[in-house]
Amino acid sequence: MDGIHDMGGMHGFGPVPCEQDRAFDHDWQKRAFALTEALAWSVPFCADEHRAAIERIAPEDYLRLDYFEKWTVAATALVQAAGLVDPQEVASGRKRFDIALVDHPAVGPADILAATKAGAEMTFPATTAAPRFTVGQSVRVLANSPAGHTRVPRYVRNHVGQITLNAGVFQFADTMAVGQGPSPQHCYCVEFLATDLWGNDADPKGRVCLDLWENYLEPA
Amino acid sequence: MPHDHDPLEEGPALRVRALEELMVAKGLVKPETLDSIVEYYERETGPRNGAAVVARAWTDPEYKDWLLRDGSAAINAMGFSGFQGEHIRVVENTDAVHNVIVCTLCSCYPWPVLGLPPTWYKSPAYRSRVVREPRAVLAEFGVSLPDEVQIKVWDSTAEIRYLVLPRRPDGTEGLSTEELADLVTRNGMIGTALV
Repeated sequence: MDGIHDMGGMHGFGPVPCEQDRAFDHDWQKRAFALTEALAWSVPFCADEHRAAIERIAPEDYLRLDYFEKWTVAATALVQAAGLVDPQEVASGRKRFDIALVDHPAVGPADILAATKAGAEMTFPATTAAPRFTVGQSVRVLANSPAGHTRVPRYVRNHVGQITLNAGVFQFADTMAVGQGPSPQHCYCVEFLATDLWGNDADPKGRVCLDLWENYLEPA
Repeated sequence: MPHDHDPLEEGPALRVRALEELMVAKGLVKPETLDSIVEYYERETGPRNGAAVVARAWTDPEYKDWLLRDGSAAINAMGFSGFQGEHIRVVENTDAVHNVIVCTLCSCYPWPVLGLPPTWYKSPAYRSRVVREPRAVLAEFGVSLPDEVQIKVWDSTAEIRYLVLPRRPDGTEGLSTEELADLVTRNGMIGTALV
């Protein structure tokens, strides 16, 4: 999605706020983070669906809202899309109808800590699919710019880079984000010359490396 | 309705509290679960974990080889694992190459070894600029590198998370692993500091 979230290379955002050095400045941000993590379990939704929901926030709100508020705005949208709350409930903060909790069990502390420590399973055996590309090969990033969730930043589209590593077979964010399953495929680390991406102003020795799924690439 | 409000006009603290209360009333979350999530991230994740990994790599060549070859396994072996740390790749700074990490599309970051990211890492300024003008961004952090040093920027666009292995400072030969870990900063493991 060509959204405001795709910020790599944009001008105009000023100096980095290096002094804003903490993960949380307020207790409500911790609550917002934890609320989102817990809802991801009961609704449920995956990280890609949540990222996609953040990307659907209107650009002016994306830039204005606090990071953790965006998390809850996106989580709320996903709870609503699942039919588990309605807009009046969100607006009023008051429950209007019951839901089938057997299908959406609230997670308890022990289960969520175990799941958090275990991590998500996102990979498949290397034999799941034959790799289309090899290490050392030059590849071009396809010009595709889907309206939905994708993990290709604009700044590498149509650019040629070199594969430095096959990271293995992973679930595919673009399909995970819309509930279409994992579409397992190889994911490659691709190295680009900074001068190819940014032109004459770039550091001649600079490199930018991205992990890109096979569907994003073609032989150069 | 007493709680009727415009969700964009009131403070985020009130909105988040109202949302939590609604989700509890619906039965979708339990307040004690939120407490345990917050406590877990504050207590069990964070840059001290990453610093322990770095210090071990500085003192144990076999561990360092393993860490650079299979970051996830070597990090898991030290007891650090979990969400946003399932696949970690460790990139080594040398006298010829300096590495910097970013997520231009959102805020991907290796939670088990660094905790949740600082606000600046999630800022539009950092995300937009570090891929394009890393030297200027590093200068804002007080880091200046010779022109001959190559800067590699790692944009965390898929499921792999990155951790920078900083160069061990000169004159630290006599220090213990614990003392070495104390030298390692979070920014050093992102690449916006030298150590």
